[in-house]
Amino acid sequence: MTAEEYGVRGESPDQRRLLAIYSYVDDVVGVIKTLRRKKIRIDGVFSPTRSREMQDALGKGWSNVAFFTLLGGLTGGVGLISLAVYAHLSFHLITWGKPIIPPVPWVIVCFEGTILFSVLFSFVAWVFLGRLPAPHLPAGYDEIFSGHKFGIMVPYSDGERQEIYRILADGQADEIRDVSASDPRKAVLVAENSRAGS
Amino acid sequence: MAGVDPDTNVRFDQVNDEILRTLGPPPRSFWVIIGFLLIGVMLWPIPWGYQIATGMGSAGYRPSVMWILYIVNFVYWIAIGHSGTFISAILYLFRARFRTPISRATEAMTIFSVFIAAMFPFVHLGRVWIFYWILPYPNHRTIWPDFQSPLIFDLLAVSTYFTVSLVFWYSGLVPDIAAIRDRVRGLKRKIYGYFSLGWSGTDRQWHHYSMSILLMAGLATPLVISVHSVVSWDFALAIIPGYHSTIFPPYFVAGAIHQGIAMVLVLLVPLRKIFRVKNIITDRTLDLLAQTDLLFALVISYTYLTEHFMAEYSGNIFERQQFMFRMVGWYSPEYWIMTILNAIVPLVFFIRRCRYSPFWLMTVGVAVLIGMYLERFIIIIGSMSQDFLPYQWGFYWPGWLESCITFGSFCLFFLLFALFAKFLPSISIAEVKEALKPMRGKKEPTL
Repeated sequence: MTAEEYGVRGESPDQRRLLAIYSYVDDVVGVIKTLRRKKIRIDGVFSPTRSREMQDALGKGWSNVAFFTLLGGLTGGVGLISLAVYAHLSFHLITWGKPIIPPVPWVIVCFEGTILFSVLFSFVAWVFLGRLPAPHLPAGYDEIFSGHKFGIMVPYSDGERQEIYRILADGQADEIRDVSASDPRKAVLVAENSRAGS
Repeated sequence: MAGVDPDTNVRFDQVNDEILRTLGPPPRSFWVIIGFLLIGVMLWPIPWGYQIATGMGSAGYRPSVMWILYIVNFVYWIAIGHSGTFISAILYLFRARFRTPISRATEAMTIFSVFIAAMFPFVHLGRVWIFYWILPYPNHRTIWPDFQSPLIFDLLAVSTYFTVSLVFWYSGLVPDIAAIRDRVRGLKRKIYGYFSLGWSGTDRQWHHYSMSILLMAGLATPLVISVHSVVSWDFALAIIPGYHSTIFPPYFVAGAIHQGIAMVLVLLVPLRKIFRVKNIITDRTLDLLAQTDLLFALVISYTYLTEHFMAEYSGNIFERQQFMFRMVGWYSPEYWIMTILNAIVPLVFFIRRCRYSPFWLMTVGVAVLIGMYLERFIIIIGSMSQDFLPYQWGFYWPGWLESCITFGSFCLFFLLFALFAKFLPSISIAEVKEALKPMRGKKEPTL
């Protein structure tokens, strides 16, 4: 992967970060817990698969996707029922004795609208809340994160680097890289040096 | 633990390679098969054009049989899709881990089959160019569709089902497309990158994604039940003997899952051999699928018996003559073949060895697919051909035109599936990795 392909997404250009790479979920979870216990901010965690333990360790609560899904369901159900009512009241041909506003068959109409719009809202919600679609991959991203490795990105200031490095290394990191959001090329070069060093 | 075969050894770091290997350059034989399927697909539009030009009579429509093979095909293809959602959504909620390696392929199967099913009402329309009259919109005729009609229910149910299946399938694909993006170069990278939406697997993305997938699975679950129930109301809400029955919704749903699992077997048994993924789609996975199919075969057998019992017990002479007609009438050979293929043949799955044998899995799969087609034929056409009064009875047998269109639909289905299997991961990479837990203790996780 070339440096240009990394791209940079709107983070602070002066932000310096350490990216630690791990092979095992339990190592990642352990490091996340240590960092949180010491109140050290975690910029992000890369993972090739979803992990309940990792989400719990990061203190992730209820996703807002649920709210948007509910909103979609209400919109769809009420919307389609409203359409059905409007359509029946607008029907100008005289027909025989069916009820003009029949609630029972419209349960189906309401149900389908609820499901359809819930799913559409849910999809749009996870895409946008996940900050997608993203024209560029985040700085520090490596193709191994869609393979079999996990990564923890931790920002640091001058005085903190040593302590954070030690925590990440103690967590059995395979590799620790310096990542600079302002210069992805430098980030890659640092990464390559780090690989060579390890 | 279900889905874990101790004889196999797929490590966490091998999953990408194992699955993405299936996307390699296809052999020449693949393109030959694609070519034949394309020729087969052309058997759909050409006869359809002829039908539009010459009228519906050329397709064999005749009183009293005014719902012919096209409606059989519609119900058949909708049903094929059911097991896809059953496996991907319902079994997901039940945490049935054996579904993990097969969920992606079954979801794709659902989308293709529902797409094909949705085409058949158009073929069935005499004046297809004004199909939009069924849509609810303000118009100069001031006539709106009747929202009490099961046909409108059907329009809403099928379009909802297709959309939900597509969104669910695509959502599941995004992390896997990102994995492909990271392993290809040039134009392919751009295309896969575009469809991966820039996915990078951050905790934020997984957090919202996981919640959405869970909710979508929960929302898709009632769809499995509702869609074929709604399809069954196309018939059950009519008064024709053989149609007008309260057993239809559960009967149709059980039949759909029975048939869908049969199609899954027919697709996956060769797929895992061709792509050499027996260590991911294990014998145990197929064994559990066969057991599920056996369960639904028993449910279907029970509904067959119940239908006959209720016809006799009701005392309604029209119902009685309809069910007697099925057993000894014009379509009785199809009826008995259907009964054997749907209810008797799957019983071989009581024998453990048959559930592990590719030959028997394929044989039962094909048998059930034929049997379920005949079932729709018997219900839809058989019931129409002998309804209330003898003067309006009529015999229908498919002609060349409907047969060609039906054959074309099968070719289209297999064409779409073959292209999917070659250009997208037919096994969910992210879900297989998730199933490899526990990734602890420095032990290599295996599937």
